[in-house]
Amino acid sequence: MTMTDIMPPGLALKKVDERIMTLNVGPQHPGSGHMRIVVQIDGDYIVACDPDPGYVHRGEEKMAEYRNYITNVPHLERPVIHDSCNVLYPYVLGAEEILGIEVPERAKYVRVICSELNRCIYTMYWLAIYGIFLGHSTMFMWPAGDRELLIDLMEKVSGARVTHAHFIPGGVRNDLPANFEDVCLRQVNYFEKRIKEYAAVFYDNPILISRTQDTGVLSRENAIRYGTTGSVLRASGVDYDLRVKAPYDVYDELDVHTNVMKEGDSYARSKVPWLDMMESCNIIRQALQKMPKSGSVRTKLKPNPKTKGPATVYKRVESGRGSLGCYIVSDGKTEPYRVKMSVPSFRNLLAMPNLLIGEKLGNMPSVYWSLNYWPVEADR
Amino acid sequence: MGTATGIIRALNSGIKHLAIKRFTLRYPEEKLKFVGDGYQFDPSTGVGIAGLKGRHMLFHDHCTGCQLCSIACEGVAEAIAMVKVPEEQKQNKKSIMPQIDYGKCVFCGLCVDACPFYALYMTNDYELSSFTKEGLIYTPAQLAVKPYLTQDSEIQITDRGATHG
Repeated sequence: MTMTDIMPPGLALKKVDERIMTLNVGPQHPGSGHMRIVVQIDGDYIVACDPDPGYVHRGEEKMAEYRNYITNVPHLERPVIHDSCNVLYPYVLGAEEILGIEVPERAKYVRVICSELNRCIYTMYWLAIYGIFLGHSTMFMWPAGDRELLIDLMEKVSGARVTHAHFIPGGVRNDLPANFEDVCLRQVNYFEKRIKEYAAVFYDNPILISRTQDTGVLSRENAIRYGTTGSVLRASGVDYDLRVKAPYDVYDELDVHTNVMKEGDSYARSKVPWLDMMESCNIIRQALQKMPKSGSVRTKLKPNPKTKGPATVYKRVESGRGSLGCYIVSDGKTEPYRVKMSVPSFRNLLAMPNLLIGEKLGNMPSVYWSLNYWPVEADR
Repeated sequence: MGTATGIIRALNSGIKHLAIKRFTLRYPEEKLKFVGDGYQFDPSTGVGIAGLKGRHMLFHDHCTGCQLCSIACEGVAEAIAMVKVPEEQKQNKKSIMPQIDYGKCVFCGLCVDACPFYALYMTNDYELSSFTKEGLIYTPAQLAVKPYLTQDSEIQITDRGATHG
């Protein structure tokens, strides 16, 4: 099935008359990432669009079949290195069920803290790119600099700036360093103060509003029909967040508020992740307060653990882009029989051809990037 | 809010930053300070000790040549090769020790988790660039050297903004 098959009839890339020009955007283009978007334009208006992902396919799922449950950890977080804890999260939850191991209570809280920190790190990077797509250099520099505050925290916890390899079946690799609670609280509070300053320079900026409001409107019905998730779905007025609807680890003990906007345009889709970052700061503060002050963070496990027997698991978490699932089939051997990742990026991309019809070509980057699409994750 | 007011507010919030301290870390004059002496692992409890996952450090008097680090790395990067060493250690009958290719290593630290003899740790040394591919391969003798580091910058948060002190 290609992208054009699911588009409404009459919009597929078939008729090309003399007025219409076909334009390739990408696959190496600052406005597309590692992906090609074939657009047909009539003057300045887009009449048809066919996204063409698949340029950074790495075969992660096949690679997972040849490695055991522990050595799968470093390569399965590669699809989104900025959001590496969240990408690994469903796999780790599934592997724990297959291996039949319990996770200590403190480890669950550490995971929630790392997951929220990573969500902010990813969103800040995404926001920086969104700023530069719109030609707003300040919005590129500020988020790119301020995410260092959180990268510094993750570096203290896991020992790596990105690709932390911190989550592991059985808990987390190591305990939080001494004095981490104070440093984390101080830096997260300052981070929250900083992102609130973005309102004046970006979200209340009349230039941004005039460029993004009422462009690429995704209605509530279409958002559900195309199967979009995460911030795209919430920006279209659907109150759906897995942290609230299907809590994993200790999210049911924390007070999580979901940010929903009704408009469904590019502006709403760019604002919801920003509001989510403030919610993440709240969650981190709650988790630091409720976390058990001592205790183990990792169940002891052999380097090549044995499974309990054939099993099938599907786990999903709310990542920086939306609900991210991992389906693991085990045939009782030390390696998984099959690992399938169900990624939010690809599902959000399905909505794109419909959104761009009738838009100006200049609005394409803002609509495309507001869908919270990460090319590497969609290809895996 | 009108268009003019909005633009003035946006410009104003940027101008305020002229009076705020610079956040940029001036690498390599300044270097960030890390917690601890690098990522370590305690096999008795099965839990790691927080620290930077940098270049490895090998303790020749603990290494038994059991190859567990090499086996752990097979599924990740195949960066570790077991090589003959000239010296004779009492616990190392085969006289083989790990040699690490940093052109392949992904710094996940699973080799440190695999070592049951407290022989392989990681250090805060992350400046490993080399002009040749051979320069990235660290022999057991090179891995035994403790790095000399001057890392003392930390993020400081004041009323006038954050800075790397």
